[in-house]
Amino acid sequence: MKNKLGLYIHIPFCASKCSYCDFYSFAANDSQIDEYIKALIKEIKNWSEKCTQYVVDTVYFGGGTPSLIGGDRLVSVIKAIYSEFNVIKDAEITVECNPDSINEDLLLKLKKVNVNRLSIGIQSMQDDMLKALSRRHTAIQAKNAVNLAKKHGFNNISLDLMYALPNQSIDMVLDSLNQMLELEPTHLSCYALKVEEGTPLAKQNPILPDEDISADMYNAICETLKNHGFEHYEISNWAKNGYYSKHNSRYWDLSEYLGIGSSAHSLFNSQRFEYSANINDFILGVKPIEEEKVDGFSQIEEFIMLALRTSKGINSLDYEQRFNKSFKPIEKALKKYIAHGLAQNIDNTWILTETGFLVSNAILSDVLTSIE
Amino acid sequence: MRSQDKIRNFSIIAHIDHGKSTLADRLLEQCQAVSQREMEEQLLDNMDLERERGITIKARAVRMEYKADDGETYHINLIDTPGHVDFNYEVSRSLAACEGALLVVDAAQGIEAQTLGNTYLAIDAGLEVLPVVNKIDLPAADPQRVKQEIEDIIGVPAMDAPEISAKMGINIHDVMEDIVANVPAPSGDVNKPLRALIFDSQYDPYKGVIVYMRLMDGHIKAGMKVKMMATGAEFQVIECGYLHPLGLSPQDALYAGEVGYFTASIKKVADTRVGDTVTEVDNPTSEPLAGYRPAQPMVYCGIYTEDGSKYPDLRDALEKLQLNDAALSFEPESSVALGFGFRCGFLGMLHMEIIQERLEREFDLDLVTTLPSVIYEIVKTDGTTIYCDNPHDYPDPAQIEEAREPFVKASIITPQEFVGNIMPMCQERRSIFKDMVYLDSTLVELHYEMPTNEIIYDFFDALKARTKGYASLDYELSDYRKSDLVKVDMLLNGDQVDALSFIAHKDMAYARARRICEKLKDNIPRQLFEVPIQAAIGGKVIARETVKAMRKDVLAKCYGGDITRKKKLLEKQKEGKKKMRSLGTVQVPTEAFLAVLKLDEE
Repeated sequence: MKNKLGLYIHIPFCASKCSYCDFYSFAANDSQIDEYIKALIKEIKNWSEKCTQYVVDTVYFGGGTPSLIGGDRLVSVIKAIYSEFNVIKDAEITVECNPDSINEDLLLKLKKVNVNRLSIGIQSMQDDMLKALSRRHTAIQAKNAVNLAKKHGFNNISLDLMYALPNQSIDMVLDSLNQMLELEPTHLSCYALKVEEGTPLAKQNPILPDEDISADMYNAICETLKNHGFEHYEISNWAKNGYYSKHNSRYWDLSEYLGIGSSAHSLFNSQRFEYSANINDFILGVKPIEEEKVDGFSQIEEFIMLALRTSKGINSLDYEQRFNKSFKPIEKALKKYIAHGLAQNIDNTWILTETGFLVSNAILSDVLTSIE
Repeated sequence: MRSQDKIRNFSIIAHIDHGKSTLADRLLEQCQAVSQREMEEQLLDNMDLERERGITIKARAVRMEYKADDGETYHINLIDTPGHVDFNYEVSRSLAACEGALLVVDAAQGIEAQTLGNTYLAIDAGLEVLPVVNKIDLPAADPQRVKQEIEDIIGVPAMDAPEISAKMGINIHDVMEDIVANVPAPSGDVNKPLRALIFDSQYDPYKGVIVYMRLMDGHIKAGMKVKMMATGAEFQVIECGYLHPLGLSPQDALYAGEVGYFTASIKKVADTRVGDTVTEVDNPTSEPLAGYRPAQPMVYCGIYTEDGSKYPDLRDALEKLQLNDAALSFEPESSVALGFGFRCGFLGMLHMEIIQERLEREFDLDLVTTLPSVIYEIVKTDGTTIYCDNPHDYPDPAQIEEAREPFVKASIITPQEFVGNIMPMCQERRSIFKDMVYLDSTLVELHYEMPTNEIIYDFFDALKARTKGYASLDYELSDYRKSDLVKVDMLLNGDQVDALSFIAHKDMAYARARRICEKLKDNIPRQLFEVPIQAAIGGKVIARETVKAMRKDVLAKCYGGDITRKKKLLEKQKEGKKKMRSLGTVQVPTEAFLAVLKLDEE
């Protein structure tokens, strides 16, 4: 049996930069984009011979704003993938889109090459919030974009929601969420805004909801989505049954993914590596380098850190078999959180509760310290 | 043998900042005892710390040769004195080694409490007190007023006192002539058995302890067997000589009236107590010099290192400091919260601060110190009396017949306009007002009896703050009095934190407990579960705060499979965790202890 592989394609272009964003993306001109696409296709070919033992079951176009570069370019990359990799039938193929760059032409073209999942960065359904984040769309545009996609047969749609925004109240979060739910997505990613140093937003010194309010927001989101039949399968991700993001799940269960494009990360053949964040490097064919090692992090730490993000959690028997190591120290560390309602243990499987998810950094740093 | 009538031994009495060290330097210049090139600024204060804080911690002495206007050459010994109330006893011993004292008064600020205290010590010791008005170069200088003040308050003639500026080098010659003319020559009997007063000592890694002394009678020379009359220790003198400004100047012998040093391969300064009398083993004096008393710590605290593994370094450092400081006492103790450390005794708060600062600066240690405590006297129900400076050792209330706490006699000198600020402050601190004396038309001296433990927290800083720095404080230990003492324990999540327990008067306990609870609350980060903070006397909780449970600590994004950020963040968090001290189930950062244990910023 062949190994399964996920492909991640990075499109680092945006029409303009959002005020909170510190990822590698920028506004480019057409010729730069074309050169980049050429380089992507070339690199896809380069990788194909190393991947003959693999079948590809997920493809994910992330960015930046993949929808921005238009259907033709995306189609050319997807076609290259089909010709160079063994992509299984019914593979999950996701393209990230922004409401302002979704149009009929794009949707028709994507549909033709079997793109079957859209992840749409709506973030909020309140125009003043969208403006504060310097998003380029309005709530109405977002609504129209989703409906257009549904009209063209895209029925697996994931929406992004950001909460804990400057001057935001819990009611405002729930209002956005409910408006999004009316659009009947199959999947939702909800992130708290984190103000990163050096971003335009950080320079505005915004007044953010405090720890208690943002925790209440999270709890309200959990509650609402549960009532709407969503499963909370990862700290920030909810899905209807059967609609978990297969591609993103790779990141949490340590299965293999190959990221192609500037600043794309890979876990491939037990190696973690990344491409230079500079698009010119990528166009020139600079090869990826090994990902920066973080002291104190081996596979075991990575596994614990990622598995406890999910509702699957860690099965102690799996763990012992996988790493040939006793689970006892971890169990001891996790056990004390049960009484405080932060962790659960069901049939040898340890998971964090929703309350536990919210303080997972503190729990993880404790658990990881305990296995040192 | 040198004639005693050409010897002058004197000290300088001055308030901090009134220019003692600068004047000492100028006097040395007058004698060409040190060339300009050799002259380090303020030669007498050797320690960095002294120079920075502008205070003299350890007494030193120098011998100068001065060719006076009368054509004669005089041997002049300047014995430096520490200028703080903590070192009162050391001052008194330095003064006892002299026949005269220069009273240096700031031409603008006038007399202050410590100056007055030390001046009385000098007068009591029978010294000739010679006033000098310094800093006449200041715009606010009013030498005439200050002279009048000296005559009115101290009662020594001051109208002919030299008006000088040590800083600018003005009229320094007058001071030297004043010393020659008015400090009496010593009058010891060189034929009597050796009697020398130890006024200081210093450890030298090559010679052992160097003992600084003033010969009252007899002589001392190399090879002589000597005995310290109080400690009983005997030594054979290896070397003796004068204290030249730039080092030791060995001599064949020293004689009555002279000031100098001897070495005798003495291993520890504890054998050479300040105030002790040195005599000859084969020809001892029958009468030791009056006034000796062993160094008596007044304040205690626990000293720990932030990093527990530095405990051996702390021990080494304390041992090294003790070589030169017989007044510093320490013994090992351990705390659940802070690990291994030492219970240290100090002469007073300044002494304590100096030691802490030297440990941090000279030995590069990061310290955590517990709340300072005085020594309480506890009469137990079984009739025994114990002395307790550590809350840890405080007996169960059921076993206490009577608890007593030390009191000091305090004198505060202040411009009268601040009296209204000072009195309520003293009252809040349970002080008993004795009287108020007008020293002149504007200066007032207040006398109080104060519980020592009220002085050691923040009294001095509070006094300065409420009098724009004008008031000055002097105090001496007087007696023990019956007191309503309680021991307050601090509990985190139900577990007692030994390092934060304290002993206080019942009336003061609640406010202090409240403050500590609040500070803990402000400084303990939210934990994964709610943490109650309680202050309790016996089983009764008197104050309570709660550290709320942490609600949100999560990194949501794990974008595009890049998990390095998350790994780094967790690693940083793990490192931070290691810097915390685990108290039962609660993680407390060292800063929280530091904030709580630093009570003087209120």
